[in-house]
Amino acid sequence: MILSYFTPYDVFAQFKGIATNWVVLISAVTVAMGFVYMTNAQIKIYQKNKTTLQLAYTVMTYVFFLAFLIAGLSFKGDVSSPEYQWWFQNVYGNVGATVYAVMFFTLASSAYRTFVVSSIEAVSLILGGMIYTLRQVPLFQVYTPWIVPLGEWFLLVPNVGGSRGAVIAAAFAALVVGIRTLWGKEVTLEVSS
Amino acid sequence: MSKKTPTTFWEKLGNIDYRWLYALSLVFTIIPILQPLGLPVQVSEPTIGYYNAIDKLKPGSVVAISFGSSLALLDEQEAQYLATWKILFQRHMKVIFYCTYADSALILQKHLGTMVKPSDYGYKYGEDYVWLGYAPLGEAGEASFAQNIRGVYPKDQFGTPLDQIPMMKDINDQSKIDLLIFCYTSCTDVEWPVRQWVVPYKKPTIVATLGCCGPMAAPYYPTQIQGFLSGSGMGTEIEVYSRNPGPGALMSDAKNLGILPFLLFFVLGNVSYLGKRFKWGQPKEVK
Repeated sequence: MILSYFTPYDVFAQFKGIATNWVVLISAVTVAMGFVYMTNAQIKIYQKNKTTLQLAYTVMTYVFFLAFLIAGLSFKGDVSSPEYQWWFQNVYGNVGATVYAVMFFTLASSAYRTFVVSSIEAVSLILGGMIYTLRQVPLFQVYTPWIVPLGEWFLLVPNVGGSRGAVIAAAFAALVVGIRTLWGKEVTLEVSS
Repeated sequence: MSKKTPTTFWEKLGNIDYRWLYALSLVFTIIPILQPLGLPVQVSEPTIGYYNAIDKLKPGSVVAISFGSSLALLDEQEAQYLATWKILFQRHMKVIFYCTYADSALILQKHLGTMVKPSDYGYKYGEDYVWLGYAPLGEAGEASFAQNIRGVYPKDQFGTPLDQIPMMKDINDQSKIDLLIFCYTSCTDVEWPVRQWVVPYKKPTIVATLGCCGPMAAPYYPTQIQGFLSGSGMGTEIEVYSRNPGPGALMSDAKNLGILPFLLFFVLGNVSYLGKRFKWGQPKEVK
């Protein structure tokens, strides 16, 4: 992959194309792996908390898993079938949206509990975050018009400078960790395992 | 473990029952939905860049849309999408939709089937737009798509081989694509089109993402990406700027008052913290 970028030879570019197609296939296979890991996690959770309620949660997970699987495979058109669409739009979509909607409340309570000016780093984070957030709300755009250029300045100047530094640092760090892992020198993997 | 009972005013201020906060947030969010405020929206620079990137293309230009939208987060982005589809169809672009997330195909089915029907703009499937269905692409898949579309999507969403689709006859890689619109929900994914489309091919690219992901897209604007939309706020902006009203106005209205309890409790939490930390109103200790 690296050679395909830094050299002009077609053979490396072709290999890169094949390898990236493999990744697409591997991604599809990881869905099955996910099922195995989910089962493993469900068993562990139930073993830790052997209650009827926990059993109900575990069973419900598989009920819905099977419901979607059957709906996706049993009808003409597979996932485009009206039956699967019904499950997707009326169950999955609403559950997903509800989870994120509930986050609205947890975000509000976390603003109350933890969004405090306890250090200079926290002050800068709060200042930037608040101004960027308020800049997007029409109420503040109308009644505090100065927040618009200030919000854009925060987004496009300090944020850009800091983020570019962070991206470059993270890229170098990923490279170093990758080389160390290939070399068998990355101790964090041993510790975590 | 017993919970410590707050004694000072500052401690009490920091221990208000969360349910008050939840109730207040709910009420303030519902009010503008029932009684819209209709406040004007100021359009930001990245939104103008996003619009201009499409607007400057000639009619008939090919636009590829990497659509990685999530149904759970759709409320945050739907205004962006609907406005974008309308702009593209109004300007008679040739559009290639490809879905990179499981939910995306179903969202697109709803959008193109009922909300922004391409046929209303005189579009014919296979001649003016194609829909390549879903494949779990990821960054590697994006790279593959840019090099060999048929390698990733040999058939369209309806099972027709791409060779039998008139619009796709001469299109099999990035070279015939004039603009990439990358729609995503995971903040760091903005790097995928930059690494796989912009750096190797210098392809004009714009992105649409969540509100929280805007700050991570900003470092690539305006050099690598010519514009970006983040969240329902910029979704409303693109609706206003392109004169295509949609669901964004309602979202922005709800935000107007919904943010107020957040700010109130943010102030209360900080006043409580500072009061406790500096022991305001308490006699100073004598050393």
